[in-house]
Amino acid sequence: MIAEESRGEAVVRLDGVHKEYGETTALDGVTLEIRSGEAVAVMGPSGCGKSTLLNMIAGLDRPSGGTIVVHGENVGELSEKGLALYRRRRIGMIFQFFNLVDDLSALDNVALAAQLTGSPARQARRRALELFDELGIADRRNAYPAVLSGGERQRVAVARALMNRPALLLADEPTGALDSRSGEQVMDLLLDLNQIGQTLILVTHDAHLARRCASRLVELGDGRVTGEHTLEPSA
Amino acid sequence: MRAVWRAARAAVRRRGLQTVVIALVTLTSTTAIVMALGLLDAASAPFDKAFARQRGPHVTAAFDPDRVSDAQLARAARRPGVEATAGPFAQAAVELPRETTNFGLGTDLTVVGRADPAGPVDRLDLWAGRWATRPGEVVLNRQSDWTADDLGKTLRVPSGPELTIVGFAFDLSRSADAWVAPGQIAALRPTATQMMFRFTDASSPDRLRTGLDAVTEGLPRDALTASRSYLTLKNQIGSSAKAYTPYLMAFGILGVVVAVLIVANVVSGAVISGFRHIGILKALGFTPGQVVAVYLAMISVPAVVGCALGTVAGNLLARPFFEFVFSGPDAGVFHGSVSLAPWVNALALLGMPAVCLLAALAPAARAHRLSAARAISAGSAPRGGRARGIQRRLAGSRLPRAVSLGIGLPFARPGRSALTLAAVLLGVTTVTFATGLATTMTRFGEAGRDAFQVTVYVGRYDKGTEIRPTHGDLALQSLLRSLPGAQEVTARADVEVRRAGSSEKVMLEGRRGDRPQLDSVLTKGRWTHRTGEVVAGSAFLRQNDLRVGDRMRLEKGGRHETVAIVGEYMHNDRRLVVTDQATVTALAPPEKPIAYHVKLRDGADPAAYARAARAADPGLSPDPVGANTVTQTIVASASALTVMLALVAALGVFNTAVLNTRDRRRDLGMLKSIGMTPRQVTVMTVTSMAALGALGSLLGIPLGMAGHRLVVPRMADAVDITLPSFMTDVWQPSALLALAPAGVAIAVLGAYIPARRAARLTVAEVLRNE
Repeated sequence: MIAEESRGEAVVRLDGVHKEYGETTALDGVTLEIRSGEAVAVMGPSGCGKSTLLNMIAGLDRPSGGTIVVHGENVGELSEKGLALYRRRRIGMIFQFFNLVDDLSALDNVALAAQLTGSPARQARRRALELFDELGIADRRNAYPAVLSGGERQRVAVARALMNRPALLLADEPTGALDSRSGEQVMDLLLDLNQIGQTLILVTHDAHLARRCASRLVELGDGRVTGEHTLEPSA
Repeated sequence: MRAVWRAARAAVRRRGLQTVVIALVTLTSTTAIVMALGLLDAASAPFDKAFARQRGPHVTAAFDPDRVSDAQLARAARRPGVEATAGPFAQAAVELPRETTNFGLGTDLTVVGRADPAGPVDRLDLWAGRWATRPGEVVLNRQSDWTADDLGKTLRVPSGPELTIVGFAFDLSRSADAWVAPGQIAALRPTATQMMFRFTDASSPDRLRTGLDAVTEGLPRDALTASRSYLTLKNQIGSSAKAYTPYLMAFGILGVVVAVLIVANVVSGAVISGFRHIGILKALGFTPGQVVAVYLAMISVPAVVGCALGTVAGNLLARPFFEFVFSGPDAGVFHGSVSLAPWVNALALLGMPAVCLLAALAPAARAHRLSAARAISAGSAPRGGRARGIQRRLAGSRLPRAVSLGIGLPFARPGRSALTLAAVLLGVTTVTFATGLATTMTRFGEAGRDAFQVTVYVGRYDKGTEIRPTHGDLALQSLLRSLPGAQEVTARADVEVRRAGSSEKVMLEGRRGDRPQLDSVLTKGRWTHRTGEVVAGSAFLRQNDLRVGDRMRLEKGGRHETVAIVGEYMHNDRRLVVTDQATVTALAPPEKPIAYHVKLRDGADPAAYARAARAADPGLSPDPVGANTVTQTIVASASALTVMLALVAALGVFNTAVLNTRDRRRDLGMLKSIGMTPRQVTVMTVTSMAALGALGSLLGIPLGMAGHRLVVPRMADAVDITLPSFMTDVWQPSALLALAPAGVAIAVLGAYIPARRAARLTVAEVLRNE
């Protein structure tokens, strides 16, 4: 289910990454290294650049300066098509508001990620069903996003993120839009994934989530790394 | 109100692209509508307009001066029912010998003595020179799109005066071929007195007859020798304009419907895509009425600007376009008298913004009802579970996922897709109809055009003096045949004869030589084989209620011949009948050919042949065959209208693609985040519209074909011709195959730019904003 990576090898390297939106500086020289199998939580106040950092690593946006190297690929130098292929092969992304396609069933939402790579529909659906089984939502496979609970939607989003066996799972406030019970379920899911070797970068406001799921905490303030801590696994 | 205006202004500024699209669509649509309605108006009643401008006579009557005096006629003109009169004018019939220069007026001229070109009835358009005020001067009836080069030349009347041409005037009513000063007419030996009447009720032939009866009631018996109603004239003159009317009507109606559809689509789309904005306004404390006002104001700004600019553009384009359409040998009678009607501008300026507002009202009313919380959370119009079965089947298909997603997109917004489909469908209908029309017109124009390349006229004019050929008739034919490049030579003679039992004149054309059929397209029967056989034009047969197989007696002077009609050919001249030279000679022995039609060998240069013919005999006027202006006019104007309507349809698609990509920004961002490449985004967006385009082709092509079948026979009927089947059966499989991509082309043209824009979306920005 999870990409095989030898734990300890650096898979993400950020060196002096800057990002400016007009006159606003979102990231101001961030240097960071993330190793394979690590679960890193990024925390900080609103507007400190957490989501921007995640978007840079995911190749959803380009840095204004500095370098981002993921699995040996310099993300900033990739073309638009190169970025799309990079996201397809290397990245699984989970959003706060799920971002599912309303017109597609849960199963087709998940299968979509594989079909875009050219996988035949039948094969993609088979793989999606495996994930639904593993995530405990097999009975909801034919439901549409509008009728799913928040927790179910986020599980579908996780399944979609895992569909192409990504090297890196990025989660942006994954429990932010969920009630506490659904939030706990998603936390357990992320923890399980990391425990079987999935590298995870988590952006959150939620200290409890960070302590539950991450082994390292990176603190951001005004676009800079203001602190790094190793976290003890919580019960 | 200030808050409403401020919010609307901010919305216009914020939605730059949407505002530009609305302005652009209303501009293009208004331009098309102004031109289409202008053409409809101009084509529907061109005769009436020109006739009213000249205050043409409802009845032109000729009286016998030996039976009725001018004073009696003046008194009769004051009877009830007569609105206005012109006359009495002395009228002479002048016969010019064929060899005399007649300035294109024919050999039998009606000359009227008239003091001035103005007056309460029959106001002449004196477009060159001046009016004839002294003896020895004449003004000729000639249309203003002719040349005035003949001014100052002399018209020689046999055993009468020499008249200098001092002016050209155009008289739509054809009350005379030429006018002289009242002091001159006596020298031309007038035989009639002309009176022209306008009646208070001229709505039908019966009313006109009643009016004329009232005028002649107190006059001596048989004082009235001839009369002609304007309705007969209208029927004759209007036939060429009537040929244009069905096709202009078709284009005009298509233009209006396409424009209305596009505007409705654009406006409702703009309102639906702005639901979050509506929620925010309501949350700020705007009343539902104020929200609707904001939306209507937001739509009105670009719509009014677009309409105003479109009206200006329509006016600027209409003038040269009308001149183009109303030119050529037939429709040219209305050249210069056709203009854009003020009601067209008024309708465009008021009607198009009204259509925009009406189209905006329904979705705006939806905004009126929607709760603030729901509007804010929805972001755009709430989407239900529409056509999910189709999406599911497409997801399981073997198609590339970008393509199957694109095909499914139109089902998410069926209303918008239906409006877009209707616009594309009408665009395809227009393209199909215009292609068929152009093919028919091209075949019509090209029929028989390879029959001859040069016409050599007998006689040449040099400084007003005619130079006759040095060779005789048969010697000329041999000479022309012997010149380099000549392959076939056919001589043509014309003589005016009378059909026994009818007052109408018949123009009998005698042909002799290698190709007697020349460029005539036979639609029924056969060509002549022997003397005494004729082939008649379809218009002649209809006018005279004759058929192939009938016989008729033709008279000229004291001679007569009974001829058999053996064939019908495609021609709209109501007087023309074709036979061989021997039949012409039997009726009019002195008549010799007036022209020789020469077919050249392949590759021979018509201009070189013309030079050789001129050098061989100085009394010849060779004239290489020119372009067919009527065909060119219809084909070119149909092409221009087609391009414009296809462009409007493509703009409709453009708008839908813009709205769809705007609505689906979040989905697009998400799809890109999971690895959809820019090319896949482009393919998906273009496919979504191309699917509608393909459906548009499927439905639009049969509609266009039906339009062609409906319009073309009416055009032919209007000019009394029968088109052979090869001109009307234009829909071969290859033609249909070529038309099949039309809808897809329109859709791709409209969708490509929004698709590229969508492909370039920055994912992080989209997801953050959404």
